[in-house]
Amino acid sequence: MELTRRVAEPFDRLDLLSPAALRRWWTARVRRVLEIAVAELPFYRDRFSAAGFDVASFRTLTDLARLPTFRKKDMLAWQSERGSHRLGIERSVDPRAGETLTVSSGTIGTTFLTINARWRRVQGKSSARAHWWAGFRPGSAFVISAPAWHAYAAIQPFLAEFFEAQCIVVSGTYLPRYADRIVDALRRFRPRYVAMFLPMVFPILTAARRLGVEPRALFDGVEVLLVTGAPITAGMGAHLRELTGVARISEAAGATEGVLAMSCTESRGLHVSPDTCYVEALDRETRLPVAPRSRGTMVHCFLIPEGSVYLRYDSEDVVTIDDDPCPCGLPSPRIKIVGRWENSFRFGAQTLVPYDVQLALEEGVPETVGMPFIISREGLDAGKLRLLVSEPARDAPALAERLRACLEGRFGVASDIAWVRELPVAVKGVAPVLSERQVG
Amino acid sequence: MRLPDLRDFPFYRPRLGRGAPEPWALEELEDHAARHDDPFGGRLRAGVRPPVALQIEMTSEPPVWSGLQPRELSAWARVLSRLWERFGLEAGQTIAFFDYGSNPCVLLSSSIYVSHLKRGAATGLGANVICNDGVASMTGRFLGILETVRPSALVVRRDLVAPLADAIATQGRRGEGALRWAAVAEVEGAPASREAHRLSDSLGVPVRRLLRADAAFLISGDCAACGFFHLDRGYHVEKLPEGQVAVTTRFAAECPAVRYRLGAGEIVAPGCRSEPAAWRLAWS
Repeated sequence: MELTRRVAEPFDRLDLLSPAALRRWWTARVRRVLEIAVAELPFYRDRFSAAGFDVASFRTLTDLARLPTFRKKDMLAWQSERGSHRLGIERSVDPRAGETLTVSSGTIGTTFLTINARWRRVQGKSSARAHWWAGFRPGSAFVISAPAWHAYAAIQPFLAEFFEAQCIVVSGTYLPRYADRIVDALRRFRPRYVAMFLPMVFPILTAARRLGVEPRALFDGVEVLLVTGAPITAGMGAHLRELTGVARISEAAGATEGVLAMSCTESRGLHVSPDTCYVEALDRETRLPVAPRSRGTMVHCFLIPEGSVYLRYDSEDVVTIDDDPCPCGLPSPRIKIVGRWENSFRFGAQTLVPYDVQLALEEGVPETVGMPFIISREGLDAGKLRLLVSEPARDAPALAERLRACLEGRFGVASDIAWVRELPVAVKGVAPVLSERQVG
Repeated sequence: MRLPDLRDFPFYRPRLGRGAPEPWALEELEDHAARHDDPFGGRLRAGVRPPVALQIEMTSEPPVWSGLQPRELSAWARVLSRLWERFGLEAGQTIAFFDYGSNPCVLLSSSIYVSHLKRGAATGLGANVICNDGVASMTGRFLGILETVRPSALVVRRDLVAPLADAIATQGRRGEGALRWAAVAEVEGAPASREAHRLSDSLGVPVRRLLRADAAFLISGDCAACGFFHLDRGYHVEKLPEGQVAVTTRFAAECPAVRYRLGAGEIVAPGCRSEPAAWRLAWS
């Protein structure tokens, strides 16, 4: 197998493949999963047959285009039709072992993922690879930061074992009102590596200040802060670094249905974890691959044939794929998930997501980095960009004018800034599109 | 499992007389943790670093932690497994939790929720597990779980009984026909019988009560036949003056639980037909 030796600290030999060798590895892996799917999973047997797809004819990754994609809306309809969460995509090699279900929630409904011990072992190792890329190393405490309903909750305890780390279980759940309990865990166990959902980072910092602990003291000794749950801009990364004093801010992204990607030392996008998934960015209308670095909808094949197996699943995330060589030397392409299509909005020919607004503001008005805001749904309905922003202590009118000018200059659309006394703490770091009635 | 020498543990050392330590309660553990700035409240030997640390939910000022070795996690999960079996959980069925994942009843039920647990209390029986976050705003999603996953058993956090009952009253029962039993859990101690009755009226199935004391690694469930809480063989209970009861957990060695004061109760000798050897506890 063709290897590259440029990765400073490879996780294993898979990290040393050349991009071309990785594509060959992926082709073999996808073919194997397709064979298992057609042999054992009724959902795919029927679906492949209806599409006239014969697995034996699968030669290259471009052959995947012959398989239809499906979305959450489809799954919800099938769930409703069958009266069950089981859709025929669930595989278990040990029928005597109990399974664990996790939840994929969203605005349109809930679907379920089946997880078993083998899934956890294989997915866990792939996740360990990704966390290794993020900078995690053995020997630190690992504060579990995923609630039990979430698929990440199946991974984190495995990671604690894998990295020979103490598994720290905080009581309660990951909502702002429990932030003081997480603060206690960070103070007591002093982890060197911390993984957190971005929306929880700010409530934790608020709780720490309330308890008399400055953010930098709370994160003293932390070498890597890994954030997930929302796309972060470069400015947000710098803001977190400044707030916490943590030298390395890493980013993880993915989809519950089996996408995992992680930033590397270069922070130029997130490398796909190759033994978890193969990812495509497709045009939403033509269903053809978009050009590299252009936005498409994220379609993936989950490559672990255990538990719920998703093949050509459209998670309806807005994604770009960059397969130019990365200076870090890892062979897998880099993706960036910048939002969800359901939160996108159009101005003329432009389709935007809140991430674009955040990026425009941090580039045009740098002092707004980290300043929470909400995009008003009513504003969008009226054809303008109206932001609800926490009122600064001084110079609010001048700042509003600069923000408005920045947005109008960048997007060419009427803009409006409305100051509010306080935004819900949970939205800090993540700019949502909300009705002003929801904000209160 | 042999209990450790309690002289090695700062929390127990001052409580030791000539024999067993004085019974203690959660507040004393919190006091020790606060005075000595010790997250484990003096219940670990010096220099020990347990592979699993659990924050005890009932403690807050400061939160106190307990530590476990893999063999202790397994022993605790076996206690819970025997309880789920007694309640009627079988291979192929699904148990759904409407509580936090940090509740030991959830945490120990599947081997995926915590490190070093090889056999989950429910998954080890061949049953499936699902957890919905224990906050009232997730009641709608829990109804969706009842309808779509059709669990045979539910475990509901006590403060969620009211929102769940209200939601069922307005939106109707879901998953009927599949559900066999439910249980109500409290953060510490046992919920009042009226909570179980309310949930039973709402769901139309028998509802059991759980007794929980995380500092002592105690999980117990009441019995449909005798009405008392059955105590697993992993626990030893003793009567204290003024109608109090203390428990000693036989499998806890890393972070010993010796003579933990459970509260007011009455010890009832074995004799229930459903589990003839089990000691029991009358708990109001």
